[in-house]
Amino acid sequence: MLGFSNQTIADLLYWVTRKWWLIAAFAISLFLFYIPSPASLSPEGHRTLIIVVIALILIIGEVIPLPAVAILILILEVVLGIDTPNGVATSFMSDAVFFIMGSLMMAVAIVSQGLDKRLALSIIKLTGNKTWRIVFGFVAISSILSSFIGEHTVAAMMLPVALTLIRNTSDDQKTVQRLSTILLFSIAYGCAMGSIGTPSGGGRNVIMLGYFSEFGLGNISYLDWIKYAYPMLLLEIPIASVLLWMTFKPEQRILDSAVRKLKVKVTKAGKVTGNQMMAIGIFVFVFLGWVFLSPYLGLGIIALMGVFLYLSFGLIEWQDINRNTNWGVILLFGAAISLGIQMKETGAAEWVATQSINGMSMLINDLGFMQWFISVFLTGILTNFLSSAATVAVLGPVVLDMGGNPIILGLSTSIASAFSYLTIVASPTCMIIHSSGLVKSSDYLKAGWKLFIISVFILYLVSNLYWPYLS
Amino acid sequence: MKFLIAIGSKDYSGSTLELGMHVAKAFNAAVDIVYVGEKISAFSTSEVMLAQENLENWELDRKGVDVLQWAYQYLVENKYIRSDSGNSDFNTDKLIQTDDDRCEVNLEGRITQEVGLILRNGDIIEQLRDEVKRSGTDVTIIGASKKRRMVHDLIQYIDSSIFIVKNYDRDRSYKLLLSVNDAPNTKKALKYGVRVAEAFDLDVNAMTISDSKEFRDDYKKASKWADKFLRRSGVDHEVNLIFGDFITIMNETASDNHIVVMGTSTKSPLTKFFKGSKPLKVSEKCNCPALIVK
Repeated sequence: MLGFSNQTIADLLYWVTRKWWLIAAFAISLFLFYIPSPASLSPEGHRTLIIVVIALILIIGEVIPLPAVAILILILEVVLGIDTPNGVATSFMSDAVFFIMGSLMMAVAIVSQGLDKRLALSIIKLTGNKTWRIVFGFVAISSILSSFIGEHTVAAMMLPVALTLIRNTSDDQKTVQRLSTILLFSIAYGCAMGSIGTPSGGGRNVIMLGYFSEFGLGNISYLDWIKYAYPMLLLEIPIASVLLWMTFKPEQRILDSAVRKLKVKVTKAGKVTGNQMMAIGIFVFVFLGWVFLSPYLGLGIIALMGVFLYLSFGLIEWQDINRNTNWGVILLFGAAISLGIQMKETGAAEWVATQSINGMSMLINDLGFMQWFISVFLTGILTNFLSSAATVAVLGPVVLDMGGNPIILGLSTSIASAFSYLTIVASPTCMIIHSSGLVKSSDYLKAGWKLFIISVFILYLVSNLYWPYLS
Repeated sequence: MKFLIAIGSKDYSGSTLELGMHVAKAFNAAVDIVYVGEKISAFSTSEVMLAQENLENWELDRKGVDVLQWAYQYLVENKYIRSDSGNSDFNTDKLIQTDDDRCEVNLEGRITQEVGLILRNGDIIEQLRDEVKRSGTDVTIIGASKKRRMVHDLIQYIDSSIFIVKNYDRDRSYKLLLSVNDAPNTKKALKYGVRVAEAFDLDVNAMTISDSKEFRDDYKKASKWADKFLRRSGVDHEVNLIFGDFITIMNETASDNHIVVMGTSTKSPLTKFFKGSKPLKVSEKCNCPALIVK
């Protein structure tokens, strides 16, 4: 056929069936390119939105590698005449990208110190051997730690603790099915909830802070963020624990022998080593830097200082950092932030915000509630299919252009992007617990939808009843 | 020759492994046994890898290693491989990470040539296709799946013969049902079929099915050649020329007590993609193991 061999046609068919999202993205973008720009939208804004559509389809479909999506965004920004090459380069690199890079590298350094065994011992000392207390302990410790360190670091450290308890209970997967589910979700949901607590809990928080300062909306310090977000985190810990218990109540109410075996295993690790002390010391230094020096140095630079110290003191090898750092994600977040800035500068963000409000005004009369609802609900849904940081990077400028109090809307958006409870792909922590093979994809929805709705409700209460007193 | 056996779990892949190894033994082939775990989102690859590396510090295995452990035990117990330690424990330290989504261990075979155990993550078709290309696999053996279009995708995109192990019961008495026609792959199918028949000591039913009552000369010629080949191979067989619908007759004859062997269709990939092919439809509908020879 047309001079092609059967093998070539077969290969082409294979490519088409695997890459149809890519083909769809280009077909849709071509269509959008040739329709006239709406009157209230500049041609640059129109073209920026085309890039947003392409990027969203490619990210959700995962048909090409993430770095390729990032590179495509940057290329299109220049080729479609949205900004100059230097302008794109400037918007690509920011303190938020430094922070994401630094925190991903620090995660590798912290996890490799073997501190998880000490952590396990502390948890067990606090909770004892009753299952409900262990579940509560897992949710609480995961939340509190991930509010400072970053959620996937905590998940990577907590996973072996949970798996050891599960295996110590029984080798038969069916016997420990519900126990596995509740312990693993305690980690995943605890980490997700915790990531709202401080700016360093997740890259998305830093992206939002970056937008606040980039768009001249004000500066929120590390401690200010804690004042806004931590009460909600503390409220969610008992609620999530009860909800998980009600949904996945396990048959084993006491894990006596499992806890004893775990204690024996972790006690073998011996006393805290010098390297471990140094690793903790460096993290405390970084944390204090975030609290007191971030207005001057930026959160990202301080995170990079931590990486520098871990490398300089020989606590981690560069090869390990290089192998375990998701460079593709860093590139993509840089490109997504650049796209967010272009959305703001070309007026695309304002146009989307206006259209969303006009569209929703038929359903909701209260403008303030509508602005809040769009930002929170849209973010919450999108974060379950996209990455949370990419969601904030793209939606952030739209939300901040919606009118109303931008700080409250921005913080709400950032917090809602942590409601990644519904799908496996929602966050690295969800993927980490799924990789254990002990939780099913349907389990995510079982407890996830309840926690999602409760979280939206708590956020509504906190943002309306508590935050106005802070600003 | 090189065989690739895809396994999914201890509960469902027992017959695939058993039949696959038995066939590989008949061909004196090198074998790779692959477990393909679920795809990890690109946003989480490094994070999941970090968590899995940390599991090793706790002497905990990642998902899929238990399935390879079970396969290893099967190989040792059935004397397909030599065990290093003298028992059937699988040393996970020997698993070498060859790519982000692939690790493997090579074992010395006793009856077959060398045996490799491979752990992969990702889309099953993509991973098998890559493994087949990488190792130059001749036959891919896989259990039946409930996934829509799985058989179609296997036959369409995997560049090796495909053996789908469906409803195999070692205690059942089987015959070999061989489809003979004028297609170029028939001769290869016949050779493979004879090897399988010899390995399992099966009687062969070589059927030539025509949709017109007048049998074409090519069909008659192919049937005669098959008869001669089977006779020379010393296999108990019967040769039939039958008129009727290919798919219906093959499925009715195969029932659940035959192993079906067919050559792949000669139609263009585009036609096969949109309209399917006779071997594809037979393998989808039949209730017994089916080997499609490419």
